[in-house]
Amino acid sequence: MSVLPLDAADDVATEPVPPAQRRRGLPYFLRRPGGLFGAVWLVFMLAASLTASLWRPYEVAEQDLANRLALPSGAHLLGTDPLGRDLLSRIFSAGAEPLLAAAVTVLVAFGIGLPLALIAAERGRRVERVISRVTEVFLALPATILLLAVIGVIGVRTFIIMAILGVLISAAVYRVMLGVAQSVRQRLYVDAARVNGLGSLRVNLVHVLPSMATVVAVQAAQLYGIGLLIVAGLAFLGFGPAEPAPSWGFMIQDASSYVFNAPWLLVPTGLVLALTVVAANELADAIAGKASIARTPTRRKRPLARAIAAARGDAAPADPAAILEVRDLDVSVDDGPALVTGVSFTLRPGRVLGLVGESGCGKTMTARSLMGLLPDGVSVSGGSILWQGRELVALPDKELTAIRGREIAMISQEPMVALDPMFSIAYQLVQPLRRIRGAGKAEARTIAAELLRQVGIVDAERVLKSYPHELSGGMAQRVAIALALTGEPKLLIADEPTTALDVTVQAEILSLLRALVRDTGLSVVIVSHDLGVVADICDDVAVMYAGAVVEDGSAVAVLDEPAHPYTMALLGANPHVPDGEPVPERLASIPGTVPPPGSWPTGCRFAGRCQFVQEKCTVPFPALPAHGAGSVLCVRVDEIARAGATWEADDIGAEVAPGAGLTAEPIATEPAATAGGIR
Amino acid sequence: MLGYVARRLAMAVGTVLAAVVISFLLVHISDSTPGAVRLGPGATEAQIAAENEVLGWNRPLVVQFFDYLGDLVRGDLGTSLIDGRSIGADLADRVPVTASIALFATLLSGVVGVCIGVTAAVRGGRVSRFLMTGSGVALSLPAFWVGVLLVYVLAIQTGLFPATGYVEFATDPAGWATSLAIPVLTLTVGGAAIIARTANAGMREALAQEHIRTLRAMGTPEWRIRYVHALRFASLPVVSVLGIQFIALFGGSVIIENLFALPGLGQAGQFAAASSDIPALIGVVVVATVVVVITNLLLDLLVAALDPKVRTA
Ligand code: SF4
Repeated sequence: MSVLPLDAADDVATEPVPPAQRRRGLPYFLRRPGGLFGAVWLVFMLAASLTASLWRPYEVAEQDLANRLALPSGAHLLGTDPLGRDLLSRIFSAGAEPLLAAAVTVLVAFGIGLPLALIAAERGRRVERVISRVTEVFLALPATILLLAVIGVIGVRTFIIMAILGVLISAAVYRVMLGVAQSVRQRLYVDAARVNGLGSLRVNLVHVLPSMATVVAVQAAQLYGIGLLIVAGLAFLGFGPAEPAPSWGFMIQDASSYVFNAPWLLVPTGLVLALTVVAANELADAIAGKASIARTPTRRKRPLARAIAAARGDAAPADPAAILEVRDLDVSVDDGPALVTGVSFTLRPGRVLGLVGESGCGKTMTARSLMGLLPDGVSVSGGSILWQGRELVALPDKELTAIRGREIAMISQEPMVALDPMFSIAYQLVQPLRRIRGAGKAEARTIAAELLRQVGIVDAERVLKSYPHELSGGMAQRVAIALALTGEPKLLIADEPTTALDVTVQAEILSLLRALVRDTGLSVVIVSHDLGVVADICDDVAVMYAGAVVEDGSAVAVLDEPAHPYTMALLGANPHVPDGEPVPERLASIPGTVPPPGSWPTGCRFAGRCQFVQEKCTVPFPALPAHGAGSVLCVRVDEIARAGATWEADDIGAEVAPGAGLTAEPIATEPAATAGGIR
Repeated sequence: MLGYVARRLAMAVGTVLAAVVISFLLVHISDSTPGAVRLGPGATEAQIAAENEVLGWNRPLVVQFFDYLGDLVRGDLGTSLIDGRSIGADLADRVPVTASIALFATLLSGVVGVCIGVTAAVRGGRVSRFLMTGSGVALSLPAFWVGVLLVYVLAIQTGLFPATGYVEFATDPAGWATSLAIPVLTLTVGGAAIIARTANAGMREALAQEHIRTLRAMGTPEWRIRYVHALRFASLPVVSVLGIQFIALFGGSVIIENLFALPGLGQAGQFAAASSDIPALIGVVVVATVVVVITNLLLDLLVAALDPKVRTA
């Protein structure tokens, strides 16, 4: 625990930032107003203070007895003090000491803290333990009071005192830097450098330190501000330069005794000191890139969608048996590229629909748009989502909230983080049960236990008492499913529900979902990159590529007789694996990557990776009917079918340009991928 | 859990010991001696040497150290070189003054800071920018300057509170409260700013968590998501920083006590430093360290109680 608020502003970037973030021209932090102000003011103060003896209008001790406690005037730009001395001259003559002494503190603190952190990060646990224990003791010492003791013993020697402060603070610096150094070292390239035979010093200088530069700069600027305050504070207490030599702290002390009759005296010195500290902190914030506050979106806006809905209103579904009908759905980044275009599918009660494709194809965006839970800055920009005859697109958030949990529920791909770590399972289940089902407290708890048993948890009572971190992944996913069932929904949206789980647990969760569909008549939309999952559980499937459905139809038809080259490729990359055997990295053998939103080619978006690509694929064409009620989006589908062509997995390698890496990303990283598109 | 507590306790004792050692060594490597301090500037070399002999200054360092440690364990902090009063009794009167200022300022900072930080996180946009920029500035203002400004506004202009001085709680509880008002407000300006930044960052992090999306998907009302779930998540960093705040305010109280003429621990430290009253200085360091260490212990326990991961371990 630090005695100084150095680590109190814990929102500074402690994440290492890769060094290569520079653009030409001004460094990034000088482009923010705060950073520019901070840098300019600090440089100005340093220059003006160090040269004060050359330009100051009066000597520091020169008294103008006729003009005591004067307000600003032509003769004294900032006024005068109780002895008629010129404030402007005194303030800037006093500046050099705090500005330099605070720098001493920073240098000493980093001179000790940083090498210690590097050593501790490099030498492994035992060394790290010893150093950390010692610094913990240092951190717990009351620094200000110790400084007073030092003054009592050695007298007022500002630079030595501030150096000792630096020693005390080095413990705090060490603690922050250790975390950064460790995470930098964990990254691959440091290991690679070590393998290449670079010495430890070189590794630190060439690889570790540059990556830590941002954090060091942020912390140093903050510490500099603290140092300034402490030098001034000590002078305020009388532990500064002796009169008549000026010091900021003592000038404020002096002003405080004249506050009754000459309040102005307080303003110039205080303002200069405050501005200097503000400058240091603003600079720190700017270096840390904290202006991200400005990017906080205010409210979820869906202007476009609202207009669409106003024009259309609720409508009868084309398929009278459908519970959910999505037509021509577009999802896009506000003022940015489209993420999903023209997606259509239909879901009947008690059926399971799979949305399948590689990462970054818009599956998750499509699924989340069904509940109106798109990330900030992303919205439905066209099309319709008819839920039981009701148009969900552009429904006010309030009405959507009433549907969420009660009619449509969702489980996500990371069960371990999907539950609130701070509350017990019982609380998390009981709370929606009371709200949605109107159950009493005891009744809700009984239902909660029943639900847990329904999802295959044997010792429901024990699980109810646990917290999420005490559960295994599979158990957490069961609890998440139980949570989704608390509102007795008709539709469950499952976003990669098994991806993060072990293979055997995957199979259990899938059979649990199958049982729920069978027993409760639940409809399910399941998002997966895994055709095995689709084959296992889905009635219908929609294959998505680069934001569009390229092939859909019944699961049997699509998987047995894939018509679209992309589906063929997926199946080729997806050898059938008998239950219980380790699954190979899937989707690893289609060369190239999904083009990111905003850079989709006209015509077929798969053209860049397709074995059958021809000239005509690059002009737009409509989807063709296929698989009964389904469709396929490929202009050569008939030719390919007639020729009986199949996706040749083996020939691919030769055609791929070197550098077109494989997309071996089994866990969907769609949010990240789209965020990349947003920027 | 038991091992954890034992480790924390060992750390605490180690820290106090370190404080004693450091201040002890500090005193002995310097060229001033207690005899010179006690006799003042007029004394001759011989007089000082004799006085040092009486005070036991010439005994081996180790002997003196264990002597002091032995007294310390018995609760005896020695007597002042300046006026011979008992340091222990003096500091016992002073700790409550400093502790109450630090405590009230911490609590007020917590309330104000959490309100500001959470509002900024929840409202976003311009409100957030305004509140957070304001906090950034408030956090940089020197406390002694803010204090004088507040005196000017609250005492001189409006006469709401007394400008300086301290009233014993026992003599006049209301007077006691008003005499602490401006000092506490002064410390709250910077303290609330730090808490606001912590709470803001914590809330923003909390609202970006996956489990918040789960709650949204369950149709949980927005107020419950924010003020039950997200706030609970953000409470851990806020409580930690509040503890750091208390420690910082306690240790840093010297300036505020000087400004408002409050008879607290910091003032004792200042007097002792100004007069090189060595035993008093060591006493202040030791007492302050003990308070810091105890606060840290309580804080660790509180954080452990708040965090299910630690609590159930
Ligand atoms: S349209 Fe052309 S490029 Fe696209 S999938 Fe069909 S054959 Fe391949």
